[in-house]
Amino acid sequence: MEPITLTPPPAFGLTAQQLAWLTPYFFVLGGSCLALLLSVYEATKPSISVPATIILAFLGGIATTLPLIEQPPTLLFGGMLIADGFTAYANILFLISAAAVTFFSRRYLLNQDLEHTEFYTLIALSALGMMIMAASTDLVMIFLGLELMSISVYVLVGFRRNDRRSNEAGIKYYILGSAASAVMLYGAALFFGATGTTNVQVGAIRAIQMGMGQNALLIAGLLCILIGFLFKIASVPFHMWMPDVYEGAPAPVTGFMTTGLKAAVFITLLRVFSSMVSVPALSPQAMEAFQNVLWVSAALTMFLGNVAALQQTNIKRMLAYSSIAHSGYLLVGLLAGPQSHDGFSAVLFYVVIYTIMNLGAFAVVSAIAQKGDTGLELNDLSGLSAKHPGLAFLLAVFLFSMAGIPPTAGFTAKYYLFYSAIQAGQVWLVVLAVLCSAIGAYYYLRVIVQLYMREAIAGSPLQNWKPSRAAVTTALAAVILVLQLGIYPAPALKMLRLGPAEAPAGGAPAEAPGH
Amino acid sequence: MASSTSCLLSWLVFLPLLWALVGLCIPTNTASGLKLSKLSALIGSLVTFAVSICVYQQFDPASAQAQLAENHAWIPSLGVGYRLGIDGISLWLVLLTTFLTPIVILSSWESVEKKVKAYYALILALETAMLGTFLAMDAFLFYTFWEAMLIPMYFLVGIWGGKERIYAAMKLFLYTMAGSLLMLVAIFYLAYQYKLQTGLGYSMYLPDLYMVKIPSGGYLAPQSLLFLAFTIAFAIKVPLFPLHTWLPDAHVQAPTAGSVILAGVLLKMGGYGLIRFVLPLFPDAVRLYQTPMLVLGTVAITYGALIAWVQTDVKKLVAYSSVSHMGYVVLGIFALNPTGMTGAVYQMLCHGISTSGLFLLVGMIYDRRHTREMSDFGGISKVMPLFAIAFMIILLSSAALPGTNGFIGEFMILLGLWQTSQVLAAFAALGVILGAVYLLFMFQKVMLGPVTGDENKRLKDLSLREVAVLVPLLIAVFWMGFNPGFWFKKMQTSIDASLVPYSQSAVASSNAEKVGTPWNP
Repeated sequence: MEPITLTPPPAFGLTAQQLAWLTPYFFVLGGSCLALLLSVYEATKPSISVPATIILAFLGGIATTLPLIEQPPTLLFGGMLIADGFTAYANILFLISAAAVTFFSRRYLLNQDLEHTEFYTLIALSALGMMIMAASTDLVMIFLGLELMSISVYVLVGFRRNDRRSNEAGIKYYILGSAASAVMLYGAALFFGATGTTNVQVGAIRAIQMGMGQNALLIAGLLCILIGFLFKIASVPFHMWMPDVYEGAPAPVTGFMTTGLKAAVFITLLRVFSSMVSVPALSPQAMEAFQNVLWVSAALTMFLGNVAALQQTNIKRMLAYSSIAHSGYLLVGLLAGPQSHDGFSAVLFYVVIYTIMNLGAFAVVSAIAQKGDTGLELNDLSGLSAKHPGLAFLLAVFLFSMAGIPPTAGFTAKYYLFYSAIQAGQVWLVVLAVLCSAIGAYYYLRVIVQLYMREAIAGSPLQNWKPSRAAVTTALAAVILVLQLGIYPAPALKMLRLGPAEAPAGGAPAEAPGH
Repeated sequence: MASSTSCLLSWLVFLPLLWALVGLCIPTNTASGLKLSKLSALIGSLVTFAVSICVYQQFDPASAQAQLAENHAWIPSLGVGYRLGIDGISLWLVLLTTFLTPIVILSSWESVEKKVKAYYALILALETAMLGTFLAMDAFLFYTFWEAMLIPMYFLVGIWGGKERIYAAMKLFLYTMAGSLLMLVAIFYLAYQYKLQTGLGYSMYLPDLYMVKIPSGGYLAPQSLLFLAFTIAFAIKVPLFPLHTWLPDAHVQAPTAGSVILAGVLLKMGGYGLIRFVLPLFPDAVRLYQTPMLVLGTVAITYGALIAWVQTDVKKLVAYSSVSHMGYVVLGIFALNPTGMTGAVYQMLCHGISTSGLFLLVGMIYDRRHTREMSDFGGISKVMPLFAIAFMIILLSSAALPGTNGFIGEFMILLGLWQTSQVLAAFAALGVILGAVYLLFMFQKVMLGPVTGDENKRLKDLSLREVAVLVPLLIAVFWMGFNPGFWFKKMQTSIDASLVPYSQSAVASSNAEKVGTPWNP
């Protein structure tokens, strides 16, 4: 399938080019294996060596991915994986998210008496799953990556094993997540039945060649696959599991789920969706039906996510609902992508910014969390600015950014996303989206009220405690990025534009005619 | 437009912010450190005022172009540029901002006791956002400053405000944000239309956006919808009846400095936005909605005045008087003739001076008595003669007595409105009378008659610092009242230019075609 143009002899049947692309995967896999080995020696008295190994593996992965951004797309394993700029960006995003979570969770785990080395290994394995997912063009590989990621996270969610809520969250996520995986797998089977392949790009081309634009089997298969994805990003009406899971999971895991996991699912969805659109595999009527499904789902997700977040009194649960709302905004961008001039780069930009600000916010939340993940009620945060002005400032910047107030990156990202949706002619969806953002501003501001405008309650758990240095460092780095990308986003926008242009299916998204 | 070498406007905009950041580094554990941080803020605002005077001197009144322009690429892929410029309308509003900021800093010298350093830093940051809003020549930049302004204002009201401060801060934030997000959608639409119509790529540059042709005709045509999106955002800020309900809460709960900045500058942004965006962008829709807007303006004047009349809290009375006075600004703008427009701009400046003065005076008396109920006061003029004099002058300027600044603004607006609609002008003139009624009524209750209560007998008259706060305002009242020509001559060209689409010939030639736009060489 690949052109044989390279002079060095291939190792393991791979060319040098392909080996280079696989190096980051080897780093993460090797890191997790090494960490498992080290764990044996540290089962009773965990030291810093395991998280350090994992972080080094992540950094190695990032370092080896960076030079690949500008490389031409390469097919791996007979077309099961595609490695392109898009993959490279996605991998960097996952690795940064995983590295940051590993970095700031050690102190949290110590505080909670949860220091088990398996935690870090599971984070690394789930990051590996994400990296496989983002590179997949084949439904089997997508499923493999998804399961590797999900199963690791199921365990992580239930990691506070003596806590009933954490157990409940783990079981709930496991059962519902498996059901969603099953639906998705069923969809893959139907897709295979219709097209005779599990590769989405090949399948899309076959569909058009064989005139299957209205084929019921294909449409049903794609719909099942879409439902699987919508479940994983918790868009309405498949969002029920999320608040409980987010609240029950340990804070750093929640942070990991809202950032790396969500980005991975979304980026994979983006790739599958754009393969279907750019060919286009389906008839215009069927395509419109899919767009209507997405339209309704986006509208409901934004609305319900924001409205439900209004009533939350626990910051973790509030951020869970806000995460649902942000999924809705992302769906707006996804829907608009094929018809807007910038393709999917607005969605990608939003994913990146959302990851950064959420990582920062959860770093702060993890730093605040007391034993048993208590101390996260909004009332517990009163007067935080008096005791810990730095921490309060960091959290406030993230909240303003999530609310989309300039000059933060959250504003730039929303601006770009909604702008691209206007180009695609989705004026009313954007009007709805901005109204939802206005609702959203309320609950973010409510936290800021607690931080800055109320006096500390006597005997609040935050009186005598010092925030972890790792968490503050992570949050500080995220704040710098949030402000930098808010004030001067041009370089980042330019960089991201390279990614998706050549990415999905190796072809630019269809250029839309003017309205 | 070529990028200019001058960066005077950038200095003007960002100097307060830089100064605020430096000020944050001053340690305030000691009394002298505390004093130093106040002093540093005051000096920072004075230096900014000096820079704005330089801008004033370099301003050429003969040209309607955006002057001292700066134009740098910022986010090229979205057509966003860092573009600043000043014209005869923004010039005076910029001067108003830089003039009021030192005054509010001086006025809060003793009344603000907690988190002093952060307080002054926020005021200076707010000044940067306000100046940026007036000077931005790029829709993205404008929107950035416009929204960023909410952050310091939110904290000023929410931390240093009165009892209901959190509610008021929330309401202020959400009201403004909800309105401006719709404006954002309209901005997207305009920028996209520009690309489609010219094929040149995206642009957020205002003169580029002015060239966009938007289909009009009917109350729900695209142009009308865009008009509504922009106008609602600005009407909330003005605030125009019935979108004014955030204002009484915010004004009453805000600390004195917050009220002064809100009334003095922030409300002007609504009027400025109408002139800068709505008039040149949507001429057909403006003509279509002219009468409803005029009616709303008249209602605002009367309604604001009547509600002010029944207030027992002095600060609330002043807050509702703002609703009434800003109604004139809307009338002046939508009269769509040079007289009305000049009056509107002038009224914005006058209202900035006189209402700021009223809020400062109310703040001074509140610092002494910790109450604002009219019934708690009586005969104050006997105990505080200096205060009484200042109060009287500012009050009469607010009630538009001839010889004070308020008279010129309201008179020109009514004159302009008379040319457009005589009925509405008659109703609006009624508001002038009502204005005099509630203000004098309040003055009589608080200041005149026998001195009531022991606490009132012991009141101290104005301190030297308070005199220093008020004197610049009193000078401005008379200067603007007796020599309006000095102020008019810098704004005239720009005002004429902004009304080009509404001149007789433009109306006659075509309805769908825009003939000329300001700053379009």
